[in-house]
Amino acid sequence: MSGDTSAAAASSAADHDGVVGPGTPLLEVRDLAVEFRTPEGNVRAVDGLSYRVAAGRTLAVVGESGSGKSVSSLAVMGLLPDTARVTHGEVLLAGEDLLSLSRREHRRRCGERIAMVFQDALAALNPVHTVGYQLTEALRRRRGMSRRDAGRRAVELLDLVGVPNARGRVKDYPHQFSGGMRQRVMIATALALDPDVLIADEPTTALDVTVQAQVLRLLAEIQAERRMGLVLITHDLGVVAGMADDVTVMYAGRVVERAPVRDTFGAPAHPYTRALLHSIPSSGAGGDGEGRRLPVIPGRPPSPAALPTGCAFHPRCDTARDVCRTDPPPLEAVAVDRASACHFAAEVLASHDVPPPVEHEEAAHD
Amino acid sequence: MTDLSTPTTAARAPARPAADAWRALRRRPDTVIAAAVILFFAVMAAFPGLFTGTSPRACPIRDARLDPQGWGGAHPLGTDALGCDVLATLVHGVRPSLLLAVVVVGVSLFIGVTLGLLAGYYLGWVDYLVSRTVEVFLVIPLLLAALLVLSLFQGVDLGSGTFEVILLPAIVLILFGWMPYARYVRASTLEAKNLDYVTAARSLGASDLRIMVRHVLPNAIGTVTALLPTSVAGVISAEAVLSFLGIGVRPPATSWGIQIEQGSEWVTGGAPHILLAPLICLVATVLALVVLGDALRDALDPRLAR
Amino acid sequence: MGRYIARRVLQAVGTLLLVMLLLHLLTTVAIQLNGNPAQAFFGDKVASPTQLAAVEQRFNLDDPCFDQVGNPCLGPFVERLGQYARGDFGTNLRGREVSDIVAAAAPNTLRLFCVVLITWLALGMVLGSVAARRRGSTGDHGIRLTSVLIDAFPVFVLLIVYRYVVAVPLHRWAEETFGEDSWPPYWFKPSFDADHPWATVVVPGILLGLAGSAAFIRLVRAGQLEAYQGDHVRAARSKGLAERHVVVHHVVRNSSVPVVTAVGLTFAEALGGAVITEGLMNIYGMGGVLWEAVRNDDVGLVLGIVTLLAAVTVVVMIVVDIAYAVLDPRIRYD
Repeated sequence: MSGDTSAAAASSAADHDGVVGPGTPLLEVRDLAVEFRTPEGNVRAVDGLSYRVAAGRTLAVVGESGSGKSVSSLAVMGLLPDTARVTHGEVLLAGEDLLSLSRREHRRRCGERIAMVFQDALAALNPVHTVGYQLTEALRRRRGMSRRDAGRRAVELLDLVGVPNARGRVKDYPHQFSGGMRQRVMIATALALDPDVLIADEPTTALDVTVQAQVLRLLAEIQAERRMGLVLITHDLGVVAGMADDVTVMYAGRVVERAPVRDTFGAPAHPYTRALLHSIPSSGAGGDGEGRRLPVIPGRPPSPAALPTGCAFHPRCDTARDVCRTDPPPLEAVAVDRASACHFAAEVLASHDVPPPVEHEEAAHD
Repeated sequence: MTDLSTPTTAARAPARPAADAWRALRRRPDTVIAAAVILFFAVMAAFPGLFTGTSPRACPIRDARLDPQGWGGAHPLGTDALGCDVLATLVHGVRPSLLLAVVVVGVSLFIGVTLGLLAGYYLGWVDYLVSRTVEVFLVIPLLLAALLVLSLFQGVDLGSGTFEVILLPAIVLILFGWMPYARYVRASTLEAKNLDYVTAARSLGASDLRIMVRHVLPNAIGTVTALLPTSVAGVISAEAVLSFLGIGVRPPATSWGIQIEQGSEWVTGGAPHILLAPLICLVATVLALVVLGDALRDALDPRLAR
Repeated sequence: MGRYIARRVLQAVGTLLLVMLLLHLLTTVAIQLNGNPAQAFFGDKVASPTQLAAVEQRFNLDDPCFDQVGNPCLGPFVERLGQYARGDFGTNLRGREVSDIVAAAAPNTLRLFCVVLITWLALGMVLGSVAARRRGSTGDHGIRLTSVLIDAFPVFVLLIVYRYVVAVPLHRWAEETFGEDSWPPYWFKPSFDADHPWATVVVPGILLGLAGSAAFIRLVRAGQLEAYQGDHVRAARSKGLAERHVVVHHVVRNSSVPVVTAVGLTFAEALGGAVITEGLMNIYGMGGVLWEAVRNDDVGLVLGIVTLLAAVTVVVMIVVDIAYAVLDPRIRYD
């Protein structure tokens, strides 16, 4: 089944310009910074994030928890908690800066033009309302759709995301669905208003491994069919390999590498990306009986409240040198369409320390 | 799968929750004042002689309803309708009320914690038995039960010692007051039971009793501790109501409830101090306890504070 | 849903039987400990021979089990259940049927509880919601302080102060300002007036409701705070719905579930409060009758009313459970 997914993604990529190419992207984030107020002072959770998504393309935003990837998507949707605020940057949706709009106007663009799929569907669906109600809530409230039309549309939406017996299930409550079906319902709610851009925040993390592949495939199909822009937030590089066209790797709130997926997986330009790729267990390597130990990244991600000086990754980096401890590396182009925030990007890129190939997301799940 | 998520330093759990709670409490002036008020009345209950030299039972009828004379006068807070000194009655009325409250809350707590712990830990028929019993006792409101039982046992003579005068109200209030503790402790036991270190302790062969006391109970006790001051306040006001009705603390012992009952008739009769003196003491005590309970709830359950 | 209700009702019948047994056992012990069994029903009062005979007949005091301390006296218990089933809850000292007294008194208690319930929900929902929305603001702190103060004034104290200190001058003032035949003087009348049951029950009802409202304020605040931070509220916002809609259908709607549960738990406490309120304000309701019965040492009447009120509590708890299941679908399909 992963063959289908890759094919769909490849075909959509073929007739499109690259993300960094000309033409107005659907969604563009420019130099976004988000701060949290804490009792210990302001903490910068996202610092200088930029990315672009065009119609029919998938961008993966990759990072460990606490790297700011989820916070940035909340900022795009205008859903940041009260303790957080955007300190600078722009979020351009078809050329219009969402952050300069009033809260209310910003909210109106959400759902309609840009929608979000949440990580934990059980928590994100309201337990006290039927699935049908939640699917068409926005249609009825915002488009004034009649109850009967809404009912019909709810069945269509459930059909679309492949929930069996859709007609019988619209009156059911979220807790009566299995995890995978619930996530499909979540995706259907996001699709209700036909958005141009979909942000999926770790859409499969809470699911069983076997169900993950199905849900991802559904997302890829829907995206190809509707030519949506998809921002896929994940920590799973297997998912990235199977789904995404481009990848943005975040570490401690900053972008460390930006590149087309194929290029990165072939030759990473940042030590962090390289380490991430190395820590994917691959079925091929595991099967040869050598008993090779899976390399891990030493240490743990830094707290945003206490970032190391210089390059934030230097305490865990295998190629760190003195300059890394003092000077933060800027994000600079290293090849066509590629950028890396490492003082030794060219060296890393040239080393061709290529991890075992990851072709399909299933490969990583075995 | 390639799960890279490792816990960040954000999960910095306090090493000693009790110490943290204590520090949080000391920082708040309202808590300090509340504690001082409670201490004041506690000292009054223990050593009434420090506050008045007059006996509450010396009641010359010709001195009835004297106005308060201020400190230094023979009757600083005046006298009541029978000529008894209001201050002396007040001071000697603290002991039964406070003693009753402490005994009731202490014993209910013990019963509730034990049953809740057993029910939550063993589940099965123990839990069924405890849960049904809780349900049955919850159906009869505390005050109604007290009214019924105290009326029924009115004729049974128990004596007039310090403990005897509060024995009957204490039994009733305990009998119908232990259920909240059992419910809370049962719920937190269910939660704590499945924590990894409890499972670990069990797999290492620790006895049930040891696991309950050393591992489960400390987790469960937090929420219950926050209930205590409010419960003490509840018992004090319940006692006032019962005494007002003449079925609480038994004469010749006095209590604030009895004083309030006697004073209520004289407010419009030109002697409001007979009512106001015990009423103000009652409110001050209850207020101090409630403030303390509120602060304790914050300190022990930071989820609600914010 | 139907099966859920049936199961709950069945369970409640069991609870009710156990409650009756508990009350019976308490009564029995009291009778056994009292040197003279019949005297247990009169407290310190000296009862007339006819009254003693009536009690002996009603409670089967001739049964030898009442002379053996510790004997549960199950025979008389079964007989008592039969009487209850026929609607016979005994008589008061003057021979009037308890069921008659209750029928006359219950409407006033219902009136009182209407006012109490409205006060709870209005105060709890409004103040709790405001506190949750403006978390950490001056308003939040003010509301919090208010709820602590409410807790610090038990119903008993509130009513004593109102009845003996506030009501009389307020009533006089209202009479002078609005005239004797207008409504305001009745609101502040320090005692119940059977000709104006609603007007004279409003202020006591509000005071009783106020005393219980602190728990509601806290509960609504905590529930809504949790809801505001919940993923489903975030998801609803991401659909671009208006904030008002999100608050009503996702925050308030979800926080109504614990509030209903609290109504059930607070009801028993409020019944106790109703006894104090009706007693102090001379309201002729079930609580008022109970209060007077305690003062007059009419233990038979006390027993009858407490039994009835326990039955009422069981019914209220079923209703609350059903409302809970209606509001929260997760319960329904267990």
